[in-house]
Amino acid sequence: MLLDIRNLTKRFGGLTAVSNVSFGIERGEIIGIFGPNGSGKTTTLSLIAGILVPTDGSIVWKGKDISAVPPFEVAQHGLVKTFQNPQLFPELTVAQHMRIACHLHIKRALGFGRVWSLFGGMPAELNGTLTRKIDQMLELCRLADKRNEEAGALSYGGEKMLGVAMGMVCEPELLLLDEPASGLGHDEIMNLDAVLRDLRTHGVTLCIIDHKVGFLGRLADRSIALHHGAVIATGKTADVLANEAVIEAYLGKKHA
Amino acid sequence: MRYAIAIGLLAALLAPLIAHSDSVLAIAIYAFMAASLAVSFNLIFGFTGQLSMFHAASFGVSAYIVTILVTTFGWNFWLAIAPALAVVLILSLIVGTICFRFKLKEFYFAVVTMAFSEVLRLIILNWNGMTNGSLGITVVDRPSLWTPIGNVAISGGVAWYYLTLALLVVVYVVCHGVLSSWIGRCLAAIRLNDQLGETLGIDVFKYKLLSFAIGSVLAGLVGAFYGFYSGFVEPHYLSIPLGLDIIAMVLLGGVGSLIGPVIGAFVLTALPHVIELSAELRIALYGSILVFVILVMPKGIVGLIGSKRNAA
Repeated sequence: MLLDIRNLTKRFGGLTAVSNVSFGIERGEIIGIFGPNGSGKTTTLSLIAGILVPTDGSIVWKGKDISAVPPFEVAQHGLVKTFQNPQLFPELTVAQHMRIACHLHIKRALGFGRVWSLFGGMPAELNGTLTRKIDQMLELCRLADKRNEEAGALSYGGEKMLGVAMGMVCEPELLLLDEPASGLGHDEIMNLDAVLRDLRTHGVTLCIIDHKVGFLGRLADRSIALHHGAVIATGKTADVLANEAVIEAYLGKKHA
Repeated sequence: MRYAIAIGLLAALLAPLIAHSDSVLAIAIYAFMAASLAVSFNLIFGFTGQLSMFHAASFGVSAYIVTILVTTFGWNFWLAIAPALAVVLILSLIVGTICFRFKLKEFYFAVVTMAFSEVLRLIILNWNGMTNGSLGITVVDRPSLWTPIGNVAISGGVAWYYLTLALLVVVYVVCHGVLSSWIGRCLAAIRLNDQLGETLGIDVFKYKLLSFAIGSVLAGLVGAFYGFYSGFVEPHYLSIPLGLDIIAMVLLGGVGSLIGPVIGAFVLTALPHVIELSAELRIALYGSILVFVILVMPKGIVGLIGSKRNAA
């Protein structure tokens, strides 16, 4: 198992945002986490990414407990999270964003040799690799023609795709996507759908949260439904979507 | 820009051939040292986004250590620089670790670094036996340089002119090297959005500390030379007003640029000599410039030149 989450709990004062959540993620699959607003989806993802520290429970990544590891180290382990509201570096162009996101690649490639690159500059070979990789990822995320534009000038959908592209350049084994489809138009969602399917063929495991059931229904192999911070259903996406408790959580008792 | 800097450096190298006047050379020497302080400060402030009030302290502590080692203990000037920089490095790592571990940002970081800097000033002010308290120490020794014809004392305007110009070049080249490497990109990420940087695998704490330590040690390097040119060291070297002068130079020249602080340092060092002003009026002028720059030209003189060029 790639990621194993056991009895994860997070309390903020008197509020229990995530309560006793357990699930696992296997290599190569697409996992969907959904639930109505306030059900603890984003908190769960932030706990996995190290942005929040769990009150209780454990997060085991490839056999190693990472529940109290800071975000940058989680990213080094190969788990990268994107943000629900696109996070950007103001003033910088799309290509410069991607270049910053290459940090881990440079670190892995050069190790302590990076210190020498202070004097002699970056090895040309590595520079070439990075440029090719950035181009490839921008192509994949349909941002190739925007590479020299200021990221702040992108459309909302473009900013979200840039988040995915930056996450991918970190070479994650597991990419955690926080509501990638929220706020996107129909065409942009179809585009995102295609991009995420492309990513899977590149061997990346995806964990996607969303409250748009339709989008996840098409994409996810397995799903977990959360409500009030607790798991109410888990299994094949179609089964979870048909689950009575899930329908009730979304639409209320009357429609169940 | 590259050509402008090359021409500026060439002009600076040739200037003493034309300007023999001691007062002109003195202004240039003080401006070179102020510019070195401003460039190294801008690494922490303009490029990493951390408003350090510790810069004057790094400068002053190093000035005191070198002076005391040379005048009281009879060390060689060049040898004395190493322990001075080591102390500044350790101090900056301690202060930086405390501030960045507690994730102090902006105003809070400024206040806490200011407090540490005041502590050091008060120690120096009250450690009469070693530092001579508020009177400071008069420096009569001159550093000498080893040459094939024997040791030559560095004295006189022209020698100090080239020495401090070299100092500025060293500080500038180090900052340029750091900023154009992968470190520079990490610092930009921290300045613009540290949360995003952290999720991309950047160790925000480590790179903040690195930037703070490099900037502070460079300020210490300037401090090592300063007292030997001015002829004295005093507790004022560690004061908040000196820190504010450095900020004014950076803001005036251009926060986000390497060359901006050099321009700002020259303008603010030369200005009081060009227009005769009393100390009180000078501070008032500095303050007005600061307010004017923040309101009208947030990117400083360099930004103004850049936008003119873009408009043309």
